[in-house]
Amino acid sequence: MSFAFKLLNREKKLEDCKPLFEDPKYSENRKKLEELLKPLEEATETGLIVKEELCVGCGNCVVVCPVHVADDPHGAGVGRGPTIEDPILRVENGVVKIVNMNKCRRYGKNRILCVACRDNCPSEAISFLEG
Amino acid sequence: MICPGCSCLCDDIEIIDNVVRNACRRGAELFLKYKENRATPRVNGKEVDVDKAIEAAIDILKDSKNPAIYGFDTTPVEVQELAVKLAEKLNTYIDDNSSFCLGDLVEIVLKKEVPTTTLDDVRDYAYVIMYWGANPYQSLSRHMSRYTYYPRGKERQKGYEEDRFLVVIDIRRSETSMLAKTNARYIIVKNDLELIDSFFKYMEGKPAKYADDVAAIIRELKKSNFNVIFGGLGLKYGLKDLKPFIDLVKKLNEISPTYFIPTGFHANMRGFNETLFEKTGFVNKYSFRENKSDKSFAFTELLKNDLIDSALIVGTDPVKSLPFEVALKLKKIKTIVIDPRNSLTSRIADVVIPSAISGIEQGGTMVRCDGVRVKLETIEEVEVNDYYVMNKILEGI
Repeated sequence: MSFAFKLLNREKKLEDCKPLFEDPKYSENRKKLEELLKPLEEATETGLIVKEELCVGCGNCVVVCPVHVADDPHGAGVGRGPTIEDPILRVENGVVKIVNMNKCRRYGKNRILCVACRDNCPSEAISFLEG
Repeated sequence: MICPGCSCLCDDIEIIDNVVRNACRRGAELFLKYKENRATPRVNGKEVDVDKAIEAAIDILKDSKNPAIYGFDTTPVEVQELAVKLAEKLNTYIDDNSSFCLGDLVEIVLKKEVPTTTLDDVRDYAYVIMYWGANPYQSLSRHMSRYTYYPRGKERQKGYEEDRFLVVIDIRRSETSMLAKTNARYIIVKNDLELIDSFFKYMEGKPAKYADDVAAIIRELKKSNFNVIFGGLGLKYGLKDLKPFIDLVKKLNEISPTYFIPTGFHANMRGFNETLFEKTGFVNKYSFRENKSDKSFAFTELLKNDLIDSALIVGTDPVKSLPFEVALKLKKIKTIVIDPRNSLTSRIADVVIPSAISGIEQGGTMVRCDGVRVKLETIEEVEVNDYYVMNKILEGI
C-alpha cells in the first residue's frame, strides 16, 4: 500500500516498480495500471482537475477559497477578483486557471482535504482525483 | 474596466497583456473579440459611407406614418435619452426588450410598490437570499460570487455556510439550485401562485401545500433584519398578475425587512426603464401619440398586428430573439439597424448604421440591475458611436 500512496502523491513513478516492466507476466497488469493512473497526468499536485471547457467563469471557486479569504480579504474575500499576485485560482479570459497550487490547503505536509471550490462549482468544471 | 456584458456591470475587470482577468466567459468574449464581425454602413444591401446611411435612415423615418423606436438595452443612458427625444419628436412608439423581459418587475420597484436595496448592501448585510425564477448561473454568472451569496460582507464575515441562507425557487433543477446545499432550501414549484398562497396560509395558521418550506424560510427570516428576493423571468412568467407577489413582499416585511431586486437582463435594460419612467411615468411599450403605455404598444404586438411601417432598431437583434412569425414581419416594413456588429436583423435591414460597443469604444452611464448608476470606461474611443448617429438623426428630423 505504501507504494500505491507514494504513486498517488507523485513521490514514486510506475516505472520505479521494476518487475512490472521487466517481467512479461505483469504486462497485462501494467497496462491496466497505466490506464487507471491516466487522470493523474491532467491533475495538479493537489489532485485538482479543472475542465476549462465546462467553466463559465462565475468565480465562485475563487471567492469561496478559504486561503483567498485569509490572504486577500479586500479582494477575493469580498467577491472581487483577486488582488494578490499569487492566488491559487484566477478567472482569465472567462475561465478559471490554476495560478499557484502551492498555496492550496491540499498541498504540502500538513494538507487537508478541502473541497470548497469543487462543492460550489455549478458547472462541475472542478473535480479532484478522489472524486 | 467595467464589464458591459450583463446587468451585473462588474467593476473589477483587468486587462493585462491581452488577458482579461475576472470577467466571466460572456464578459471576456466581449473584450477579446470586440473587433470581430463588425457591421458596415449599408443601404439596400449596398455599402455606402456612414453619413449616407444616416441620411437614408432620416428619409425613412420622415416618410413613415407609424415608425417604432426599439432596443437601446445595451446603449448608455445618455443615448436612451436621445431615443426618447426622437420618439417624442416623431410622436410615435418606443419600446425595448423589457416588454417581454423583466420590465414589469422593474416597474414595481420604480413605483415603490416593493422595498428595494443595492447589491452592495446585500453583500454586507443580507442573510436570507432568495432566487425566485432566476438562474444567475446562466444570466448573470458572477451575481452570486460578486454580490450576494459567497462574498464576505461587513456584517456577514463568517461566509456562506453560516452567514447566509440560500433559497432557490424554480420549476426545474437549475444550476443555481445545485448550490442550495447546507443552510439552504430548494423548492420546486409547479405554480408560483401556490407557493405565494402557502406563505399566506401558513402565516394565518392554516394547512398549506409548501408548509415545510415556508416554515423554514420564515424561521430564517426572523433571524435577520436584512433579507432579499431576486426575481427573474420565471417569476414574471409564473404570475399573470404581480399583485399577489407584491402583497407577499409586504407581508414578509411585517416579519423581517425583505427587499426585492429584479435580476437577469441586458446590461442597461433598467437604464431604459428608468429613462422612460422619468419622462412618462411608464417603463416601456409607450406611445407618445396616445400618451400612454399599453400591451398593444409592445414592439412584438406592433409587428404582429401590422401597426407600424418602419422600425429603428438599436443594439438588439429581434430576428434572433422574437418568434419567427413575428420577426418575419420585419421584412415587410422599412427597417433601420444601428449596431456595432452584424446580426440576423442587420442582414434583412434596409439601412445598417455601424456604431460603437458600449463600455469598450464609447463611454456613458449604465444602470445596474439594482439601480446603481455606473460610469463606463473605454479601451479606445471611436468617432461614429451611438451618440453621433442618434444626434444626426435627431438633427435631420
